Amino acid sequence: MSRYLIRRVVRGLLTIFISVSLTFFIVRAMPSDPVSLMVSPQMTPAAQQAMIESYGLNQPLLVQYGKFLLQLFQGNLGTSFSKHIPVTQYLLERLPWTLMLLAAVMVLVLAIGIPVGVLAARKRGKLADRIISVLVTLGISVFIPFISFLLLYVFAFRLKILPTGGAYTPPRGAGLAYWLDVGKHLILPAVALTITNLANAVMYTRNSMIEVLHEDYIRTAYSKGNDTKRVIRVHALKNAMIPTVTVIGLQIGTMVGGAVVTETVFSWPGVGRLIYDAVNALDYPVLQGAFLLLAVAVVVMNFLTDLAVAWLDPRIRLGGQ
Amino acid sequence: MKQRKSTLYYFFRNRNGVLGLCGVALIMAIGLIGPLFLAKPQGYTTDILVAPGAAHWLGTDSLGLDILAELVWGARTSLYVSVLALLVAAAIGLPLGLVSGYFNNWFSGLIDGFIDIFLTIPMLPLMIIMAAIMGANITNVALILGIFSWPSLARVTRNSTLKIREMQYIEAANSMGLSKMRILFRHILLNASGPVFVNLTLVMASAVLSEASLSFLGLGDPTTWSWGTMLKRAWSANAVITSPNPWWWWLMPSLCIVLYVVCFNLFGMALNDTLNPKGRS
Repeated sequence: MSRYLIRRVVRGLLTIFISVSLTFFIVRAMPSDPVSLMVSPQMTPAAQQAMIESYGLNQPLLVQYGKFLLQLFQGNLGTSFSKHIPVTQYLLERLPWTLMLLAAVMVLVLAIGIPVGVLAARKRGKLADRIISVLVTLGISVFIPFISFLLLYVFAFRLKILPTGGAYTPPRGAGLAYWLDVGKHLILPAVALTITNLANAVMYTRNSMIEVLHEDYIRTAYSKGNDTKRVIRVHALKNAMIPTVTVIGLQIGTMVGGAVVTETVFSWPGVGRLIYDAVNALDYPVLQGAFLLLAVAVVVMNFLTDLAVAWLDPRIRLGGQ
Repeated sequence: MKQRKSTLYYFFRNRNGVLGLCGVALIMAIGLIGPLFLAKPQGYTTDILVAPGAAHWLGTDSLGLDILAELVWGARTSLYVSVLALLVAAAIGLPLGLVSGYFNNWFSGLIDGFIDIFLTIPMLPLMIIMAAIMGANITNVALILGIFSWPSLARVTRNSTLKIREMQYIEAANSMGLSKMRILFRHILLNASGPVFVNLTLVMASAVLSEASLSFLGLGDPTTWSWGTMLKRAWSANAVITSPNPWWWWLMPSLCIVLYVVCFNLFGMALNDTLNPKGRS
């Protein structure tokens, strides 16, 4: 187990390192002048010069790179051009909103995806399975703005039962009423993201369930006199869930950044919306910081997924010893 | 020859695949031929937000431009983007996948590690950053999409190559003294074409989705029509939640994007079933 974990941690750190280096060189390797990218034109010449020196933009590229990594270790991601606050603070303000959204999506995807996938596997080839497979095909092809527009049109514009965007109705309240209000704002973005992620969860659960149901131990379980419900719940599901958990874990990690479009449509004040705002303001320190955060999120989610899979599958847990 | 015949035979027995293929062919025809009949929508007219009717089959937008013409020109953009992205992804992904799968040395291990890591890095934010820096230009966007689509293609190519290199005819080719290039591209790539083709259709579908997402976020090319740009304009004008609602303005481009992607996915899935003998029933 410990060797397995160490290998994963090393790979995770390597992923973060490569992503960060990639953004560093992408931002600087562009044909345009890096100084003009990193320094806001609204600053006074003296402030610009100070900025250039603090970033070390007048030094050779590799020196800059070393400095950048050093600052990174100290938790210093620079200052936002547009908000004039430290990037770290800006990111940490937005992160809880994205995490809230993703938690809701994960709960919905697992709660709907696994039972539907199991149902499709049990009714393999029958009408229910075919309907589900059509929906899955549509689901993997869906375009997030489209589904968001439909939801907005129906629930916010026609029925007028849900808000059109934002995370709460200003001014910011307190207590139960405030959280209920936030919950109401959360529904549409969470549903939009769930729809786009559900298809994979259903497909993976279905396919692995079909495979698992052919295993010897399932026949054994039946021959011991268990009924179908118990066989599926106790014997099959834990094994069938392994690919689903892996896929959902990876998707959730990617979605910290992949939610850019959804958060933009619904004005949800998370990291995705921050990326959109930073792109429009050409706020490069924020973009760089946001990308670091995304890489960390992906790696952490991968790691948690590996732990969950190791817990579900003793062979991995024991095999590493 | 017999093998090819039966592959076609199985493909055409797959109703979804035929449907997808027809859709793909239709979109290609519209994108290639349509702009010859419909003038490029430019400037503005006085017919603002006209509902679908005889004069404008699919209505007009807030500048009074014909939605149908915008969609047709958008189809051309989508095709251009997905084909260019496909070529770029293939140019990077195929050689890397072949090399890392065929040779068994530190270099192939390194490539494999890179593929793994690139598969875990979220691509959309990277594309956003690059598009923002490189500037709004449809060719740039397509190049960026291609550059970021190579990892999955390389992975698929590598996996097939790993299997094929163990086969006897590769040993035979080696013992005949054929050059490595010839073995890789002629003997291995040709036999790995099944999974590779399937992945290429997925690259085309996801290129259109990503292009639409980038355009929707305002990183598209303002001088070309694309379905994502249309949606961006509709969204900026609050078209979804204003009353009376110009539903045709936001619904039509969305439907086009979804149809395009559904058709490519259906085609790809059917191709997968046909080229993989286990999937035939």
